[in-house]
Amino acid sequence: MAYKSKGFMIMKNIKSLGMALLLLLAFLPALSFAMDVDEIVNRANLASYYGGDDGKARVKMVIKNDKGDERTREFTILRLDKEDGGDQFFYLYFHKPGDVAKTVFMVHKKVGGDDDRWLYLPALDLVKRIAASDKRTSFVGSNFFYEDVSGRQVDDDTHSLLEETDDAYILMNVPKDPDSVEFSKYKLWIDKKTFLPVKAEYEDKQGKLYRVVEALKFGEFDGVPTVTESRVKDLVSGGETVLTFSEIAYGVGLEESLFTERYLRKPPRKYIRR
Amino acid sequence: MKRTAIAALIVAIAPLSYAAELPFTGFLEVGLASRVVSDDNADDEILMQEGRFQLDFLNDGDYGTLQFKGDFVSDGVTDESRLELRELSIVMTPHEQIDLKVGRQTLTWGTGDLLFLNDLFPKDWQSFFIGRDDEYLKKPSDALRASWFGDTWNIDLAWTPIFTPDGFVDGERLSYWGGAGKAGPQSGYTIDPVEVDKTIDNGELAGRIYANLGGNEIAFYGYRGFYGQPLGYDMDEGNLYHPELVSYGASIRSAIFGGVGNIEVARYQSEEDESGDKPMVPNSEVRGLVAFSREILPEQTLGVQFYIEHMEDWDTPAEDAGGFDRGEDRVWWTLRYRGMFLQQNLILSLFTFYSPTDDDGYARPKVTYKISDKLQYTIGGNVFFGEEENSFFGQLEDNTNIYARLRYSY
Repeated sequence: MAYKSKGFMIMKNIKSLGMALLLLLAFLPALSFAMDVDEIVNRANLASYYGGDDGKARVKMVIKNDKGDERTREFTILRLDKEDGGDQFFYLYFHKPGDVAKTVFMVHKKVGGDDDRWLYLPALDLVKRIAASDKRTSFVGSNFFYEDVSGRQVDDDTHSLLEETDDAYILMNVPKDPDSVEFSKYKLWIDKKTFLPVKAEYEDKQGKLYRVVEALKFGEFDGVPTVTESRVKDLVSGGETVLTFSEIAYGVGLEESLFTERYLRKPPRKYIRR
Repeated sequence: MKRTAIAALIVAIAPLSYAAELPFTGFLEVGLASRVVSDDNADDEILMQEGRFQLDFLNDGDYGTLQFKGDFVSDGVTDESRLELRELSIVMTPHEQIDLKVGRQTLTWGTGDLLFLNDLFPKDWQSFFIGRDDEYLKKPSDALRASWFGDTWNIDLAWTPIFTPDGFVDGERLSYWGGAGKAGPQSGYTIDPVEVDKTIDNGELAGRIYANLGGNEIAFYGYRGFYGQPLGYDMDEGNLYHPELVSYGASIRSAIFGGVGNIEVARYQSEEDESGDKPMVPNSEVRGLVAFSREILPEQTLGVQFYIEHMEDWDTPAEDAGGFDRGEDRVWWTLRYRGMFLQQNLILSLFTFYSPTDDDGYARPKVTYKISDKLQYTIGGNVFFGEEENSFFGQLEDNTNIYARLRYSY
């Protein structure tokens, strides 16, 4: 009785072990497939908007309309993160065109709240506080939106993994508050190695593709994978904007005190060549 | 002759700016403004007819930053050419917590939108009323600005050794209420007030202590100098003059209700008339402002301001001697609309002042279109209206004008 019972127990144990192994095998592809959608999204958010603890770049923006008319903007951008994925400071110094040269735009970005924004107009020595604005409106007249530049809040959408290719995770993102945005959903390609978003396709309320944002060139600076050229195409208006980044550096030692009224009047020469 | 000079400059600069990176920036602009109705007090309805060439140069070095900005103006109204030095300054940082800016510079602080309570730095109201760019509302000062930056609180001190008066409506271009009737270019009576003596004691001193406490910008201000406009009448000289003024105030500005709200107060202490019994010198006043602005539609912003000037010692009988009975309290409501269209290349704006106490007002409609990165035009108007012909804006009614400017930036 005792023997029998023991043998039975062993058998039972082997059986359950086998079941467990089987179960494990069955789920293994899923585990490697989805390192959890939320984690992909979070890592992509960090890779695109929080590279290093701080960063700087000189940005050239070429805006083209459907007739081929071109407008150019050039600015230096400085960014400091309070914490990864959290609040940030931005400082934009405009070099060109002439009518906005020396203008500074400063943002204290608050995750989960309205950002504090200032504009410094040097001709009037005026520090202007700017009202928070719709984040899906044009960034300095380009086809990029404010949100494309400073990052869309991760929690504003629900994310699902559509597909995984050799190089990319393909995600579908649906806004939680559809009335707050002009799109119904967007498909996002995220590079598996760097977690940089490489492409985003936006569909309008009728489900028609109308806007495509693409990363065109990449580089690595101070160990941080970076998009060095990106383009947005507005398929409705026929316009497009190309951003080219140069003089890219991370961990340059920006301090919080730089993002104050003092430096609106006195752009930091150490970081801004003018 | 002058127009040929401007044209020659355009021809010389235009190809240059395409050819290479110039070591300086700037613009060429032509502007024209005309009254819309004939003014009996003026012999010409043209208020502005000028060509302007601005050169802006900046140099950053180990010593600090040198800035130069000058306008060469060919003025068809006064029939003269002149050089207006807008900026010639050096910014230095002698200590990591201190910045010094010396030389000619534009100084601005305070929270009002085209309403200035604690900003007593010089303004050029004439430029503002005839349609020049907003930039020219601020008149530069020859000053020393010393700033100290602490961990939270900061201090600014601006010392202007020689008092700089405002550019005011003096009858040269714009007509005004001259006490007994309208005065203007036709009457030949232009205001040329007694100048403030250029002694060291007569310098202007302005200070500000401020901090940004979690997005709430708080500031305290002080000023010692003179009224920017010649608001006093000197019986001995038989002329207007700038009475002494001491002012102090405070402001707060924050992000609130999805927009920006601000409150500012100032007390103007009329040093020569502390008891308010001199009819030829302004009384002391308390001024207050409450304002809010927010985006109402994408890329369209609306701003509202409530402003009040409360005159102290109002019941003193001497007040009857003046011209317009402005009352104990003067109230202004202002409304600003600004909308950007066509990828921000078309900007529509309207700023209006309305005074329920004075029964007058002023509207500034403006359209700006950026034809390209280099070329833009602006069309606008300055519309004055009032029940009485001697109220603040009412006296300017006949100066109602439209203007156009074409600017080429290089």
